[in-house]
Amino acid sequence: MAQIELISVGKVYGKTRRGKAAENTVSDLTYVIESGHFVSLLGPSGCGKTTTLNMIAGLEDVSSGEILIDGRKVDDLEPDKRDLAFVFQDYALYPHMSVYENIAFGLRMRKVPKHEIETRVSDSASRLDIRSVLKSKPKQLSGGQCQRVALARAIARRPAVFLFDEPLSNLDALLRDQTRSELKLLHRELGATSVYVTHDQEEAMTLSDRIVVMSRGRLEQFGTPFEIYHEPATEFVASFVGKPRMNLFTALRTKNGRYTLPGTTFTVDLGEIGLDRVRVGFRPEECELRVVEPGTHGHGVVRSVEPLGNVSDVLITLGDQQFMVRVPGFGTCAPGDRVDIITTRARIHCFDPTTFLRISRGRVS
Amino acid sequence: MRESWLSRNLRHHLTAWTCGALVIVVMVIFLAPFVWMIAYSVYPSTALQAGVPDLSLTNITLDSYGQLFSDPMFLGPIVNSVIVGLSTTVMCMAAGAACAYAIARFRFRGRQPLLLSMMTVQAIPVIVLAVPLFILLRSVGLYDQLLGLIVTYTAFILPLVIWMLVSFFEEIPPSLERAARIDGCNRLQIMYKIAFPLAAPGMAATAILAFITSWSDFFLAKVLTSNTAVTLPVKTAAFQGLFAMDYTSAATAGVITAIPVLVLTLVAQKWIIRGLTEGAVKG
Repeated sequence: MAQIELISVGKVYGKTRRGKAAENTVSDLTYVIESGHFVSLLGPSGCGKTTTLNMIAGLEDVSSGEILIDGRKVDDLEPDKRDLAFVFQDYALYPHMSVYENIAFGLRMRKVPKHEIETRVSDSASRLDIRSVLKSKPKQLSGGQCQRVALARAIARRPAVFLFDEPLSNLDALLRDQTRSELKLLHRELGATSVYVTHDQEEAMTLSDRIVVMSRGRLEQFGTPFEIYHEPATEFVASFVGKPRMNLFTALRTKNGRYTLPGTTFTVDLGEIGLDRVRVGFRPEECELRVVEPGTHGHGVVRSVEPLGNVSDVLITLGDQQFMVRVPGFGTCAPGDRVDIITTRARIHCFDPTTFLRISRGRVS
Repeated sequence: MRESWLSRNLRHHLTAWTCGALVIVVMVIFLAPFVWMIAYSVYPSTALQAGVPDLSLTNITLDSYGQLFSDPMFLGPIVNSVIVGLSTTVMCMAAGAACAYAIARFRFRGRQPLLLSMMTVQAIPVIVLAVPLFILLRSVGLYDQLLGLIVTYTAFILPLVIWMLVSFFEEIPPSLERAARIDGCNRLQIMYKIAFPLAAPGMAATAILAFITSWSDFFLAKVLTSNTAVTLPVKTAAFQGLFAMDYTSAATAGVITAIPVLVLTLVAQKWIIRGLTEGAVKG
């Protein structure tokens, strides 16, 4: 187990030439991954999460800042000197070697005694249930088996840190869920510090002790899954995490100090926040719907209902905005119904419209 | 309906037959001289030079092969060709693999122009360079020397070798090399433990192509040798005398020269075509 500390870590590709600035892929990342924690780097494609993982691994140089593993600066160390194992997105199994040789290769390179190699390969193969394919070549294996071999290769090394680069993204949905559960159990058994790159929020939420949300090379939030979900630090985190996405809209202050969605009767009490405009967000599953009496307007009109079995997603037109509410079962409303949106049980998320940072809480009516 | 189906079926067959006939014609055009050469090497010339060639199986003899292989004047060029072919191949592969790996894996300024400029060399007709090469080799004492031929062939074949190998190395997923770095390999170990074994079929095909090119060259060998470093193709042509032509020996020598080329090409044809056609310019 090891603690990983990133201090103002940045990565720049290329050089500034003829006034054209170099590409800033990652900038000013500062956080501490505690020993034994499972931390996910979550963000959309191109946000710099894999670059960050590669910098921790030593596969990419750090342009600025420093990375410490157990208090030791590792920026100048080769990847194999950092005591870590890496599970790649495409598994990166050596096609010309058998499964046994693939698992043993890293140990051989480290000059581990032969009997010790045999013990470790056997142990990791048993743990991942791949003993029967030890003599096979990777091309003879299914995607799931390749994934297990890649994990076994990492486990056999017994490193202080595991790095995962979207290891489940090439598996089908069923196998992905199964492997995700096994990965969680494996982490509980081994207890090693793990850093896991994913763009799948479900993976991040289910596996992690802490989540690092990144966007455009910057750190948006570093927190527990609870904090990320219930107290998003920025509007980006609020909109990126959660399925269906959070309803976010711009509200304007009215004369009585409440905030309203223009063109609607939907108002929010945010208390005194000192802003005329504010970005307000509600989670669809925390809101409720009430079909209004005929002849009354209500907050909006139901546009569509998407039943998913246990819940239904109801899309409502609210002024010129769309508002999603997740209701239990198949719901009681139909397209064209006029409805009120009830948010008494909902958390209100407020963000500054210029800085996009979280600002306050309030009550809604 | 049935009629239109028939006509479509007939059209399909006609096309197939026409294509088949064309292939046969082309094969005859290409193979006839080779078959005739084989015939000349195994039949007595008297049997072939008669009004109607006597091609009965009882006339077949391998005497000419026996004679040539027992002639020290013929064995010398065979040995020369083998030495030149193998040495050129080894030099091309040693230098070419390292260069191609660097071009395939590292992104640097001028990478693409470098690759293209190397191939431009291939476009220069050999005849333009023959006389300067002759003068150059003579002035450095490498005229009529095996080393002179080896260096010359290496210079000519190396760009093609690099071109082919780049495409094979580019096919190897970079994540494998990253995994090898995590496993503790340095750059050299990544090359010989991961990249080279994975590119082995392509490397073998490239080596065969390099060998065939140097083995079957006539023009440069003719210009750059006179006596001690004469190679098989030059010796084969030498059977044509000023006043007479020993057809049987010439044909036998021709077959002996062609057999390794034929066998090696058959072995590696799939990979050679892949290496030449897959874009070394991609990326």
